Amino acid sequence: MSPEPTGSTGSGPFASAAQVELTLSVADDLLVLARLTVSAVATRAGFDIEEIEDLRLAVDELCLQVLLGRRTGRLVLAMAAEPGCIDVWSRYEGTEEARPDGLDDEGDLSERILDALVDEHGPFVHDGRPGAFLTKRRALAGG
Amino acid sequence: MPPSDRSTITAGLSFADFAATRDPHLRDLLVEAHLGLAHQLARRFANRGETHEDLVQVASVALIHAVDRFDPERGFEFSTFATRTILGELKRHFRDKGWAVRAPRRIQELYLELGAATDALTQELGHPPTVPELAARTGASEEAVLEAVEAGQAYRATSIDAPDRREGTIASRLGQIDAGFDGAEDHQVLMDALALLPEREQRILHLRYVDGLTQSQIAEQIGVSQMHVSRLLTASIARLREPFTEA
Repeated sequence: MSPEPTGSTGSGPFASAAQVELTLSVADDLLVLARLTVSAVATRAGFDIEEIEDLRLAVDELCLQVLLGRRTGRLVLAMAAEPGCIDVWSRYEGTEEARPDGLDDEGDLSERILDALVDEHGPFVHDGRPGAFLTKRRALAGG
Repeated sequence: MPPSDRSTITAGLSFADFAATRDPHLRDLLVEAHLGLAHQLARRFANRGETHEDLVQVASVALIHAVDRFDPERGFEFSTFATRTILGELKRHFRDKGWAVRAPRRIQELYLELGAATDALTQELGHPPTVPELAARTGASEEAVLEAVEAGQAYRATSIDAPDRREGTIASRLGQIDAGFDGAEDHQVLMDALALLPEREQRILHLRYVDGLTQSQIAEQIGVSQMHVSRLLTASIARLREPFTEA
């Protein structure tokens, strides 16, 4: 599966490729739902338990990158999967400005963690709003 | 400079040289040069029921493993390889350790069962099991397996720099820790503590954290029960931790 929003000007997957879309209030406690949902979608795509654990950590990082320290508003995640591959997109909906120190020195670490956990990741823009995506493929699926 | 070249040189230290010579002094220098990464990743797992010191210990041992295993010829950055290795050990640590957060008893029991089933199925299948395979082995639903994994590992989606329910951030309530703090000293203390362990315990640690064997595989290799291996590992880690807690 090719990550549709790899470019910075695409409309993103929210209108077309996404099979599952989840909207959450910005609250730590609700991110468990994001991880559970991604885990369930990845299960249906045939990922093993180790890969799912990687995805759960990666989704945490994706959310951190999008929230950038914001405490209000909504977090939207979209997912699309096919056997051996899953794409996850995340974007922020709200009016709060990102905190300048939202990721601070952890920004590089976040990138490094995603480098280690997924096959592709990066920013995208949806309706003028920035978001972030990741793609993970099963190792056994030839990726 | 191509990425493969960049990946071999860090602060004047060459992974290519280490790969060729296996010089212990160079190995120590490479470990020391990257201890900051181990500290950073350990902090990422803060607030999940484990002490920072324990997590740094796990991450540091994994870093040593990464330095030993890194192949600069494969063309990717050491930091990426080390991050993956350290994250893997931290995940295993939480899986082996259980959790310190509240979870329903049925979920706790299923989580413990899943740990054993994952190890067994990984050996039987030759790869980590899928959720349906785990569900079939444990007799639980796929949803219950996912719920147990989530609850059992107590992963929270928080950076310590993310806001929490109290004022400020988790980081603001922690002491300020420089990523590179005391790195060389930590490493030397760790090496000294390792050398003081009995030969069998050193071998078990090596098999677990350098060779990557499971506790069951180690048990088979040295002729004791898996539970005994688990106890020896716990005791060894505790002894390695002593110099840090005394400091």
